[in-house]
Amino acid sequence: MKRTLLFVGLFLFAGQIQAKGFPAGKVQKLKWQNLDVIYLEDDRFPTYDINIYFADGALSEGRVKGLTDAAFSYLDLGTRRFSRQDISSNLEFFGAEYGGRVTHEYASYHISGLAKDIVPTMKKICHLFQDATFPDRELKKEKKRILDSLDNIESNPGALASRAFREISLQNTPYSYPAEGKKSDIKKWNSKLLKGKLSYFNNEVKKRIYLTGPKSVLNIEKVITNECGWKGQGQFQRAVSYKAPSEIKRPRITLIPLKGANQAQVRIGRFLNEEVIKEEELMSLSAHYLGGGFTSRLMRVLRVENGLTYGVGAFAGGQKQYGRSGVSTSTKVESLETLLLKTKETLEKAASGKIEDANLLRAQGSLAGSYPFGFESNSAYLAQLSYLDHKGVDYSELFKFPERVRSFSKEEVSQKIKDIFTWNEQDIIIVGPKKLSSMLKKMGDLRILPLKKFL
Amino acid sequence: MTRKSYCRAALVGALLLSSWGCSQMGLQTSNTSSGAHSEGEIQLDVKKYTLKNGLRLLVYENQKLPIFSYYTFFDVGGRHEGEGTTGATHFLEHMMFKGAKKYGPRMFDSMIEGNGGMTNAYTNFDNTVYYESLPIESKDINMVEKIIDMEADRMQHLALEPTAFEKERQVVLEERKMRYENSPQGQLYLTLMQEVFKGTPYGGSVIGSKQDLLNLNRDQVMSYFKKFYTPDNAIIVVAGAVNAEDVYELVKDKFGDISPSSQEIQTYRKSRDDNELYKHRAKYGRHIKIHSPQSKNPMFMLAYPGNAIGTREGFVRDILGSIIGQGESSYLNQKFVVGKRPLFTSVGAHNYTLKYNGVFWVSGELLRGKSLERSKRTLLNEMARVCERAINERTLQKTKNQYLVGYVKEIETNRGVAHFLGMRENFFGDYSYYNKELEIYNSITVDEVKKSCRDLVGDKNYIFVSSWNKNPKKK
Repeated sequence: MKRTLLFVGLFLFAGQIQAKGFPAGKVQKLKWQNLDVIYLEDDRFPTYDINIYFADGALSEGRVKGLTDAAFSYLDLGTRRFSRQDISSNLEFFGAEYGGRVTHEYASYHISGLAKDIVPTMKKICHLFQDATFPDRELKKEKKRILDSLDNIESNPGALASRAFREISLQNTPYSYPAEGKKSDIKKWNSKLLKGKLSYFNNEVKKRIYLTGPKSVLNIEKVITNECGWKGQGQFQRAVSYKAPSEIKRPRITLIPLKGANQAQVRIGRFLNEEVIKEEELMSLSAHYLGGGFTSRLMRVLRVENGLTYGVGAFAGGQKQYGRSGVSTSTKVESLETLLLKTKETLEKAASGKIEDANLLRAQGSLAGSYPFGFESNSAYLAQLSYLDHKGVDYSELFKFPERVRSFSKEEVSQKIKDIFTWNEQDIIIVGPKKLSSMLKKMGDLRILPLKKFL
Repeated sequence: MTRKSYCRAALVGALLLSSWGCSQMGLQTSNTSSGAHSEGEIQLDVKKYTLKNGLRLLVYENQKLPIFSYYTFFDVGGRHEGEGTTGATHFLEHMMFKGAKKYGPRMFDSMIEGNGGMTNAYTNFDNTVYYESLPIESKDINMVEKIIDMEADRMQHLALEPTAFEKERQVVLEERKMRYENSPQGQLYLTLMQEVFKGTPYGGSVIGSKQDLLNLNRDQVMSYFKKFYTPDNAIIVVAGAVNAEDVYELVKDKFGDISPSSQEIQTYRKSRDDNELYKHRAKYGRHIKIHSPQSKNPMFMLAYPGNAIGTREGFVRDILGSIIGQGESSYLNQKFVVGKRPLFTSVGAHNYTLKYNGVFWVSGELLRGKSLERSKRTLLNEMARVCERAINERTLQKTKNQYLVGYVKEIETNRGVAHFLGMRENFFGDYSYYNKELEIYNSITVDEVKKSCRDLVGDKNYIFVSSWNKNPKKK
């Protein structure tokens, strides 16, 4: 087994971290032929986690969307040698969990199970990547299943709101269209298109392996290089060039009527361009101040002081080339107007500099202090490393996070909130009964869109 | 999207108010998938202490990271409520974050979150569980000491401040809307539990009826607090970078002087533990139809009377549920979702074991255009055949392998370990009961699962509940 240690600096650096009690000392960067492998050793448990990263995602698609997600999700529908039932029965017998995740910028495939079974499990997974045929009969059943589930999305108003929110808040960017496609796309999926998509990811796209478990899990090197055929030959990494959409000047409100609802789902947010997402720690702190945890400003105002909602959260985050911010909550139909006004008031207060020292300190303490928990589970730790690699950021940045978060001033946070959460620049999506329209008209430019537009 | 994830058997019945699924419990097996595998045991080095007032403390030292998790299990849940007070236990859980004597309003969560921690709680029919995860030290504050002080304060001196009480009532009503009123799955679950456990202490609802929530007053909630939030009714579990002896000394110092329950209250609590109260009294062989405007495709739950936690039959049915309805290769999935003639978009089987009784159910959602009545008949017919067709040596071993992976994942974090130990101490009075579980699971045979299956489905003791926008508006 050939393992080349590439990044000695990481060990040295990790040694310092470990002195503080962090487990970074076991991270190794390896090369399996030309394939990058990041290995986190952990002998405590007889299990492993593997995440295979592909440096392209749904943006690789042409006219028919959702193919990447489908190719990764339906790898196990059948191969020339094995039926769908054979495959699931075999992998589940090993206690393995497996599945794909596709975003616009990248895709990944995750496998976990017992370390002693890693070789036969990975052999099967490699077989799927190399030989999946997406048999028409199985694909037809899956397509019907997804279409029917989408048709029933009303049964989950929160999911409907989030789906619509993504599409609306990112409109006029390459990231607006759902990575999993819409009904019209799903109908067009076929075996040939999916095989073509999988072949592209197998052969042309850059990959990295993130692996954790006892040392014995490194025995999969030959399986990966020979049976998956991944030797680092694919080098394509997705990068896009696009013009960021212009900012809106008045809140743009979209009501998606939902029959029989006695609660309104609320999503408020916007697209963030590449410049804004560069200041990641400041962006995270600003969103955390507004809507992170029970002590955030929005939680205090909406839930504790006014009893308007069960929960509210705010986020602002970026991928490699774009980002998005949002506030997510719900309230009974009768109190929607109050909730929106209180939310607006809270955002405006913070953006105008009215931030109490104690509240900012608490948000900083909360975000910076929770930092070690990101290392508690190996899979969570590897996910952080994968995210940094995706963005092309050095691992050392990970360890600077707490200090940076604590360093920001009130003025910086306020300015960032103004940049991101200015009320007049937000898309507001409401899922609730149609009768809300008259109230919502008073608050901004209202349009009413049927939910089927988002399916 | 991860399509293959198992919802392991609800061995220690933990269907929380806040969850829709089953708990992640597992086991070590002696013979797993690829033949030879050394017989192992779960080895968790735990120190157990019992204070004079009855408070139990478990400590698990894990020095991997400078963090810890702190759990408090109270032996009180929805089963302790009566007519007119449904939802009181859960309401009380919310109010526990609203201030006590030393740490007033907003101080509890501010202290925790401001120092990088998180806190929350959940309530189910049997327990109320509070938890925190924190760095060991923050801004020169020993957070272990601080948490113990804060928890001791709220166990003794809960404020139940009237204004906060009224605000929180609205919050709970919002939670009810979110989880149940606007969720066909939530409506199904509530109805199913109320019908299966009708006439028993499990026949209410943990969230509470809307009317009860509107009527609950501070005195009623305070009464629950006084009856059940006592050291002899609580278990503390601490897992993380701590020293067990130090934790014990701190707990003894802060909790040691709290009086245990009076004899009268102990007697009252015992009266709720009478097995007789929990015997199934439901009327079976019924189809209950819920009109749900938000459910275009019919959703259903098919329930059978189950077993209490810790019974051998309960363990056997954990395995049964996994074999027939967990994972893509499970029998019902193969038959109804991915098979030649699919009927459902999804299907699952779960064994939910509570402290004094249980329920076994199959749940799913129909594909568009499939007749609800015909699908129900097909499912019931299949249930009559499932025992002979689904259960064999391979499917039994597969389930044991899956449980093992699930178990290991559960104890990967301090939080997982603390919950794992506390659940067992709470239900079995023995945090290390997992070794007994292993023995039981490992001893279960194909014949035993088949027999249990036949007993389950043989008597036609089922209740079928459906939720659909075409169901009639009134039952």
